[in-house]
Amino acid sequence: MKGSRENGAAPVRFAHGSEAEFARILDFYGIRWEYEPRSFPLRWDGRGRVTESFNPDFYLPDLNLYIELTTLKQSLVTRKNRKIRRLRELYPDVHFKIFYGRDYRQLLLKYGLRPAGVPTHAEGPASR
Amino acid sequence: MTDPGGDIREILLTREQIDDRVGELATAIARDYADRSPLLVSVLKGAVYFLTDLTRRLAIPVEIDFMAITTYGSARAQSGVVRLIKDLDVEITGRHVLLVEDIIDTGLTAGYLLRLLQARSPASLQICTLLDRPYRRILDTLEIAYRGFEIPDRFVVGYGLDYREQYRHLPFIGVLRDEILSDAVAHPRAPER
Repeated sequence: MKGSRENGAAPVRFAHGSEAEFARILDFYGIRWEYEPRSFPLRWDGRGRVTESFNPDFYLPDLNLYIELTTLKQSLVTRKNRKIRRLRELYPDVHFKIFYGRDYRQLLLKYGLRPAGVPTHAEGPASR
Repeated sequence: MTDPGGDIREILLTREQIDDRVGELATAIARDYADRSPLLVSVLKGAVYFLTDLTRRLAIPVEIDFMAITTYGSARAQSGVVRLIKDLDVEITGRHVLLVEDIIDTGLTAGYLLRLLQARSPASLQICTLLDRPYRRILDTLEIAYRGFEIPDRFVVGYGLDYREQYRHLPFIGVLRDEILSDAVAHPRAPER
C-alpha cells in the first residue's frame, strides 16, 4: 500500500492499511513523519550479531517521537509488548509510543470512520 | 434531561460537576487575566456549550470569536490537509488570546490551531480545555493552562461533544455504549468536535 511523503520524496510502501491511514492523519494536521527510519537492536548472539531488533513504524522528527501501531491479534501483541519492554530498557532516552488496536480504533471513531481490518475490542495490556 | 435513547452506558460527569468545575475555571481565568480583556477563541462546534457557560461565569470583560476547520474524516475525500472553513472575525495581533477547547485527545487539532494563531502574533496565547484525555497524546509538548477534567480512555459525548452529530445537547458527559460504536460505518460527513 503506497502513501505520500513530505518534501516530494518517493511514495512510501506501507505494510498495513492502518499505517497508511495514520500517515494521512499526520499529513492532514501538518505533522512531518518518517516511515520505519530506524532499527533498534534488542538482542545479540555471542559473536555480537543482532538476533532481534525492533523497527517502530513512524518517527515524528519535530516531536522527536517514535510511534508503533499495533492492530494485531492478542497473541502477536503479547510478543510485541515483550519487545517494547526490552526497547525501553535498552533505550530509555528514546521517546516512544504504542497505539494498540483499541487506540487506533478510537482515533478513527473520533473522525467518524471505521477502521478496516481492526478487531472490535481492546488489545492493549489489561492494566490500561 | 436524561438519555432518551438509552445510548449512554454511564454518566461520567454530571451537570452539577461540570457547573462547579466551569465556575472554578472561570475564577482562575478572571484572576490571571485581570485588566487584560482576553479574547476567547473557540472552535465550532464541540466547545460552544463550554464557552457559553464559561463566559457567563467570568467576572472580567472578554470578547469571543469562533473558528471552524475541517476534521480529518470530513475532508478526507476532498483535501489532504486541514482547511479553515471559518476564520476569526477580529484581528488577534497584540491580543491576549485564550483558545477554548472541548476536549484535547491526540493534540493534533489543538497543535494546528496554536500554530495558526501564533503566526498572527498575539500578545499571549494559552489553552483552556474542559476535558483532557491524554492516553493517545501525540503532541506531548502541548501546554494546557486550564484543564477542567482529565478523563479516562473512553469515548464520551454530551455537553457539546458528539458522535456523528448526535448527543451534543445532553447536559452531562457520558460514555457511549459499545454497541453504538460497533455499529460505526464509514461516513462521508464526520462530526466536527
